[in-house]
Amino acid sequence: MLKRFVLVAAILMALGLFLAACAGETQTVEVTRVVTETVTVEGQGTTETVVETVVETVVETVIETVVETVIVEATPVPVDRNGGWLDTIIFVEEPNQDAAIARLAAGDIDMYADDVAGAALVQAIADAGNIQTRTQYGLYDEIFFNNGTCTDETALNPFQNAKMREAMNWAVDRTYVADELYGGLAVPKFTPISEAGADRGRFAPEIRAIEAQYAYDLEKAREIITVEMEGMGATLVDGKWTFNGEPITLIGLIRIEDTRKEIGNYFANQLEELGFTVERVERTSGELSPIWVSSDPTECQWNWYTGAWSQTAVDRSNADNFDFFYSPRGLPWPSWQVFQMTPEFDDLSLRLFNNDFADFEERADMMRQALPLANEMSTRIWVTSRTTLVPFSDQVSVTTDLAGGVSGAALWSKTIRFADEVGGSMTIGLPSVFTEPWNPIAGSNWVFDRMVQRGLGEPSLYTDPNTGLQIPNRVERAELVVKEGFPINATLDWVALSFAPEITVPDDAWVDWDAENQVFITAAEKFTETQTAVYKSTIYFPADMFSTVTWHDGSALSAADFVMSMITNFDLGNPASPYFNEDLAPSLEQFMSAFKGTRIVSTDPLVIEYYADNAQLDAENTAGYITWWPGSYAYGDAAWHNMALMLRGEENGGFAFTDAKATANSVERTNIIAGPSLEILASELLSATEESYIPYAATLGQFVTADEAAARYSNLAEFARRYGHYYIGTGAYFLKGVFPVEGQAILEHYNAYPDAANRWDRFSAPAIAEVEIDGPSRVTIGEEAAFDVFIDVFGGPYPMADIDNVQYLLFDATGAQVETGVAEAVEDGVWQVILSTDTTTALAEGSNRLEVVVVSKLVAIPSLAQYTFVTAP
Amino acid sequence: MSQEALKLNIDTESIESSSRKARSQAVLRLVKYTSGRIVALFFTVVVGVYITVLIANMGGYVDDIRRGQIREGVALSASLDPTFRQLPEDERTKIIEERVAIQEARFGLDQPFVVRSLRYLTNALTLNLGFSEGLTSDSGSRLVSNIILERLPSTLVLFGTANLILFFLSLFLGLSLSRRYGSFFDKLVLGLAPTSAAPGWFYGLFLILIFSGLLQLLPFGGMVSAPPPENPIDYALSLMEHMILPVMATLLSAVFLTIYNWRTFFLIYASEDYVEMAKAKGLPDRMIEQRYVLRPTLPNIVTSFALLLITLWTGAIILETVFNWPGIGQLYFRAIGIYDTPVILANTVVYAYLLSLTVFLLDFIYALVDPRVRVGEGSKGR
Repeated sequence: MLKRFVLVAAILMALGLFLAACAGETQTVEVTRVVTETVTVEGQGTTETVVETVVETVVETVIETVVETVIVEATPVPVDRNGGWLDTIIFVEEPNQDAAIARLAAGDIDMYADDVAGAALVQAIADAGNIQTRTQYGLYDEIFFNNGTCTDETALNPFQNAKMREAMNWAVDRTYVADELYGGLAVPKFTPISEAGADRGRFAPEIRAIEAQYAYDLEKAREIITVEMEGMGATLVDGKWTFNGEPITLIGLIRIEDTRKEIGNYFANQLEELGFTVERVERTSGELSPIWVSSDPTECQWNWYTGAWSQTAVDRSNADNFDFFYSPRGLPWPSWQVFQMTPEFDDLSLRLFNNDFADFEERADMMRQALPLANEMSTRIWVTSRTTLVPFSDQVSVTTDLAGGVSGAALWSKTIRFADEVGGSMTIGLPSVFTEPWNPIAGSNWVFDRMVQRGLGEPSLYTDPNTGLQIPNRVERAELVVKEGFPINATLDWVALSFAPEITVPDDAWVDWDAENQVFITAAEKFTETQTAVYKSTIYFPADMFSTVTWHDGSALSAADFVMSMITNFDLGNPASPYFNEDLAPSLEQFMSAFKGTRIVSTDPLVIEYYADNAQLDAENTAGYITWWPGSYAYGDAAWHNMALMLRGEENGGFAFTDAKATANSVERTNIIAGPSLEILASELLSATEESYIPYAATLGQFVTADEAAARYSNLAEFARRYGHYYIGTGAYFLKGVFPVEGQAILEHYNAYPDAANRWDRFSAPAIAEVEIDGPSRVTIGEEAAFDVFIDVFGGPYPMADIDNVQYLLFDATGAQVETGVAEAVEDGVWQVILSTDTTTALAEGSNRLEVVVVSKLVAIPSLAQYTFVTAP
Repeated sequence: MSQEALKLNIDTESIESSSRKARSQAVLRLVKYTSGRIVALFFTVVVGVYITVLIANMGGYVDDIRRGQIREGVALSASLDPTFRQLPEDERTKIIEERVAIQEARFGLDQPFVVRSLRYLTNALTLNLGFSEGLTSDSGSRLVSNIILERLPSTLVLFGTANLILFFLSLFLGLSLSRRYGSFFDKLVLGLAPTSAAPGWFYGLFLILIFSGLLQLLPFGGMVSAPPPENPIDYALSLMEHMILPVMATLLSAVFLTIYNWRTFFLIYASEDYVEMAKAKGLPDRMIEQRYVLRPTLPNIVTSFALLLITLWTGAIILETVFNWPGIGQLYFRAIGIYDTPVILANTVVYAYLLSLTVFLLDFIYALVDPRVRVGEGSKGR
């Protein structure tokens, strides 16, 4: 026994020493401040175009104490390095979050690419002292109600009643959930507008007003419930609601995998407090989905469910959320089909979904009307938006996406580096790697596999990790012509937006694919009448692209790679194709429903036109929707020549792109990095080399010569011999090693990458504003009062040019919103709110609250601050 | 003389005849016993595997779960696709239903569970392991044999090492302690035996904290260092380095209790009358140990060793998870989590066959190592 006591004492002492050693410390960090200027130009029609340009990069040194979230930015570096900052990136599998934080603290890994949550982990991060974090939005919680009326008339589902559902808004203390159940790693959520989205800033005052209206008030909920329940024939007996003499039992489906277990139990407690009997069904996703997804809601097998939804990138518009979350049109599930909207909400929802509005002002009005209606209907009540943490070493600088974290940030590999260091080897922990086979058509869609793939490739356009707008990478410029009347806005200067009364599809544009003859069908061949489209985008690629951009096997990028991307898009889901995959048919059908045509205007420099109907509200995202860039296959990159091997292997029955076809044919799914597919690919490479094989020769043969084909196959053979796989991209790193069983992937710097390493440094950290209000604590009723609003970023003043707007909301002593307005800019980082004499005259004696919402042009997430002052005569 | 010779001849023939008869009876008895044993064991395997089929599919409820998951997955992916959300309602519904139908067909949900359960059983019993329903091997293969064989070596090398060390260490220390009954070390083992109440992964957590987190002497987990060494010798050394903590955890969690078990087991045999008699005759200790203690305990030792070997097939789910060791246990856990019946069945049926074969062979091995045992004679031969 003595030995055991000694052992325990030794461990405790060691733990104490460890914790003491991990105390926080003051650090010097260098930050980059991005300053932009705004130029306002007149657009066509009523649209005003705002153009942002980066004009200055200021680097300054600040002293700050590392506590929890630190924004570390790159120091100025010589730009004589191309490609990634690092020499090597090693991915290792670490499925356990606790172990990952311990490894980060010990320096065993430099970053953990998953977001973490939970009080214990947050404490461990804080204690470590050498870990910084970045907040990730993108997952939000709801209580979803069964809106159906029970077919069994002896049973009552209270949530068939919209007033009952609305009352639940007051029954849930979202602040408690965010602060206590999530330990501060969540924020209350009241509306279907996502936290990381452009509409969050656009409608910040309206959202704040709804938050105030539905603030936690259990007694108000009880009052409404009493009225409504009695109206439905229920009676309260001994504090318990009964129907037909039996207690009303509400069946709550509670997910157990995450904090939704606690949220579900909290909600169950609240319902019990309100007089309901609750049956808590705590199970996993798989076990609960047959009940809430598939069962008939009128069978009343459940009453509420702890749901959650995610977003993987910053949303540019949430206007379609009303239709998706509140209308039976949202999903063809039984639980959706019982939604009953008011005619007014139905009309608004559908019009917002269809972009049926004249301009953005009308859209804003419609959104303002729809937001309160959504809460009145409350098919679901929103609870929290999670603000999880992406942890990484304080020596690391990297881009994270506001919604997708680091794993969802397309730019991560372009900016990741050790501070003050060029080169080096970085180890990144992933919860899983190589979860499924890799192939560009229907390969692994696991977020962490995709993260590795993003490190190997690049898109023609990146998604701005902070605003969700498309920004050019391999595109020089674009022209976008949109049919007059369609509401669309251009923000960045790489897209030239114009309008036309009608956009016709040229006769020689490719509009479909003849899978038997392997040629494109032109508009003139397919249609007798002239076709029109909602928009036409013309993408201009850089003139030197084909001489500077190369695949990792050394082959130069060519127009054939783009054409292969086009062909496979049409061919693989076509039943007449020898490579037909049934699983791809619905996607093709979806694509064709909006596609109108495409045309290669010039092959060098490459210029491509695209005609379609599915315009979005942002010109950048509409123009960049399809560029046919070969690095933008659904699940990774592919050159035409490694795609050719995959197609041959598929045609010869060796493997199949999709799971469905692989299962049906009892073959493996195509995997170009490991496993049995490699032998088949090697064999096909030999045959293809011997035959100088050009797939889809009738079409692709116009863009590739036999010599070029031979050279490409030779390059690929040498690459495969060296690195043992067939995955090539055009990114800043190439896949040097694949170790599936060991759970490791090695990425190495690609020396031939053409761009400077610091090209994307401005995205190393999101410019989220820090806001503070200062002013009089006592205001005399009837006198003007001025409040200063201090807005900082990266430790310095937030430039006025980067602020979209600063709005304020004034709440009186009763909590009612009495005024909204706009703050005035004083200087960089300082704005002022002035309450007029009329305003203060209208205030009663007591404590008032001034809230300020700051909307930046650089990030989608607004910053909020509040200030309390007293009014007296 | 001749009559005597004749009589002798008759006796010899009679003896040979009865000997042949006895042999043929023995062979017959052996065949009968073997057949009966094989049939009984096979029947046990069939029942065990079919029960596994039913459990793995929750009696068919997994079909409902799958249908729900497919619908949920299709809808979630749709909800994340802004272009999909722009489609008219009827087109969205049509596309969702098409996708759902394709996925349901992929999982065979268009056939009744009973039919599929019998196919699962037949395929498993014939070791036609086929393709998994969801899992892939680390290298992306969906062939169940690839999935298992890829993970088997890492499990064998870790748990083979740990369990062989544990087995022989505890066997010899147990035997040694049985000779030192009441000594300090005997009491020490007796006192430490309750430490085996904690499982290996529990010790693993502490070992990681101490040796990896605090002292930073050994890796946190995984199988080899990152990046994996290219030289085979360096790779082996790295592998051994990564095995130290899990092997230690396995040993710590079991060694004292196992030593205590063997020590007690040997003590019981060492107090038999014939051992006392041997001691009274003055035979040397080593001879007593080898002839009078170890030999009669051989069937138990062999049984224990054989079962240990086949237990390696199953790995150790939590210990592998704690040390992030890519073994069979983790694989089995993942397969159960996603209801991948072919992988679950493959693990089960191979284990069932190995166990049956072991049980079957042990009967013969008992007869070889212990002359008192007669195959097929039941209690009469003892």
